[in-house]
Amino acid sequence: MRFLPSLLVLLSAVACSSSKDGGHASATQKAAASVTAAPVKAAEPVATAPAPEVAGDAERGEKLVLQFECNRCHDGTGHPAMALEKHCTHCHEDIMTGRFGAGTPKIAEWKRSVTPYRYAPSLEGAGKRFRREWLVRFLENPVDLRPHLAASMPRLAISESDARDLAAYLTRDAKTAKSDALAEGGSIRRGRELVEQKGCGGCHAFSGERPLPSTPNPAVGTDAQKKAVELAPDLRHVRERFRRDTLVSWLLAPASLKADTLMPTHGFTDAEAKDVATYLVSVPLEAPPAVAPRAKLPLLTRPVTYAEVEKQVLSITCRHCHGNPDIAGGDGGPGNTGGFGFAPRSLDLSTYRSAAAGLVKDDGERHSLFEKTADGTPLLVAALRARQSEEAGAPVPGLRGMPLGLPAVSAEAVQLVESWIAQGRPQ
Amino acid sequence: MTFTKSLSRPLFAAFTAFAFAGSAAAPARACGGEWYPIYEVDPRIEGVDTAEKKLEDGHVLASAGMVIRMIPHIKTLSPTRTTLIQRAHRVLALAAVRYDGALPVGAEVPDYVQGTWLGKTAEDRKTNLDWAVKSLREIAKAKKDDPASRTELAEALAKLDDSKAEARQILEDLAQKDLITSADGYATLATLREGAGDQEGRRAALERCKTMAHPSQAGICEGRPASSVAT
Repeated sequence: MRFLPSLLVLLSAVACSSSKDGGHASATQKAAASVTAAPVKAAEPVATAPAPEVAGDAERGEKLVLQFECNRCHDGTGHPAMALEKHCTHCHEDIMTGRFGAGTPKIAEWKRSVTPYRYAPSLEGAGKRFRREWLVRFLENPVDLRPHLAASMPRLAISESDARDLAAYLTRDAKTAKSDALAEGGSIRRGRELVEQKGCGGCHAFSGERPLPSTPNPAVGTDAQKKAVELAPDLRHVRERFRRDTLVSWLLAPASLKADTLMPTHGFTDAEAKDVATYLVSVPLEAPPAVAPRAKLPLLTRPVTYAEVEKQVLSITCRHCHGNPDIAGGDGGPGNTGGFGFAPRSLDLSTYRSAAAGLVKDDGERHSLFEKTADGTPLLVAALRARQSEEAGAPVPGLRGMPLGLPAVSAEAVQLVESWIAQGRPQ
Repeated sequence: MTFTKSLSRPLFAAFTAFAFAGSAAAPARACGGEWYPIYEVDPRIEGVDTAEKKLEDGHVLASAGMVIRMIPHIKTLSPTRTTLIQRAHRVLALAAVRYDGALPVGAEVPDYVQGTWLGKTAEDRKTNLDWAVKSLREIAKAKKDDPASRTELAEALAKLDDSKAEARQILEDLAQKDLITSADGYATLATLREGAGDQEGRRAALERCKTMAHPSQAGICEGRPASSVAT
């Protein structure tokens, strides 16, 4: 019960809500963006020798898992999950399945908000499947792997050595590959046919390749099916993510490499698995899908009040991480009292006065949330736009996009915030 | 003595038996039906939250009345005792400041808890303002460099002749970084600048006040006292 006030605050303001609120691009929009046409490029050669393994200190990496709170969202980290009141997906899952101890009206309200943020992939057996060097790159510069999942891996305050050590820990159970080549004889054409026959497109996108049949529809099916669809990665990343020496084994018996996987066993023969693997890693792909930068809309000429900004942006997107610790058992969320490896920023966006109180930056000093950045854009607006740039594949140096790990807010939402600031931030 | 001794053993035995019987696990239905927990929620949690919202919306007296009714002994409690008490202190202290130490809450607060809050005498008003400054100072100290707490402390300090300089220092520092968190803070700064003969600074502070003010409190940015525009 003592955590209820904190959850009330955190969850009532959770993440983002339905598209009618104008906040975020939906998963469907993300999927649509991922098939943008681009020039065809040649097939990537299949490596024939194992890449030199990236060095890293797994022992330190184990500690970093706790520092960066990987177990706040992911299972399978080798550490116990964080407590429910801090755990993203466990808390959301409890709300969705009615296990959370709160009144029916509150649960109904929260369900609307948490529905898109129910799942995060398990890290179980990551070392048996993934290349360590890919993990290092991904941790340093996360890309959106899962087009049907609203959330994505956040950009953490992580150094190169942190990424190497984390990757070393996450791949601690990996056996050294004898070869980085697929067995000879696989056929791209037969692989494609098999992927179509097995209906892989029911869950997976394969951007850069001809669309797979069976359009996914996360809105139907059981919870397990929805979860499988949401967590299914875009297959264009297989060639960089997966170890060649275990890809065929994965296709033959996924659960043998990851006990809690949602990937079904399709009953491939050895030859079929080889064909599918060859197709996935060798078919020529078009260049990465281009995400068009969001339009910068002109300032509104009508009056904009704090109430409107709060309702349409701050309460939907920001308060889940930048909350009021006084009414949340001392926890103001990772963007206020710290978390995910971030130092406390003391940024509370729960009221007008607390937002006006600004944040503590790296220099240890308080700064206004509205202070001008180098190009004259107010800091709050710059952070919202930086997230849009991250989605377009162009992170802004020195500025972490917000909301962290969630879809960028719409151009209209940024316009509203920017207009409010330009008008003097009226209440 | 003998009588006491003779009674003590049977009494001890009876007490022990009773204690054992009481501690034994009894089936739920033995209590007269299905057992279920009844959570008692402190009504002040919601009450203080409502009072804060009323204060934000410019309903200063209503917020003060709520706090006095809910926590009539608030003056005996340290403002840093719990976060709930701290929030209650803040609401009441700011209300007292915005009404210059005289809160006309006689109609909504019972006689026996009115104490000095009505500020009928100069001494009562001074008592209330001193209490407000003390509370807000302790809150600002507990919250370290929080600009919102510092803005509110400065607003209170500005009401006392011997602390106007300190109030101005705080507000000028915050204004330089665009960290004054309320229209009231800018209205206070305008008054302090005027007192120091800085008319241009006064106008600038009032302009900033006007852009920030809640529609219900716009009057404070025209140089009128908060109590004349608040409700």
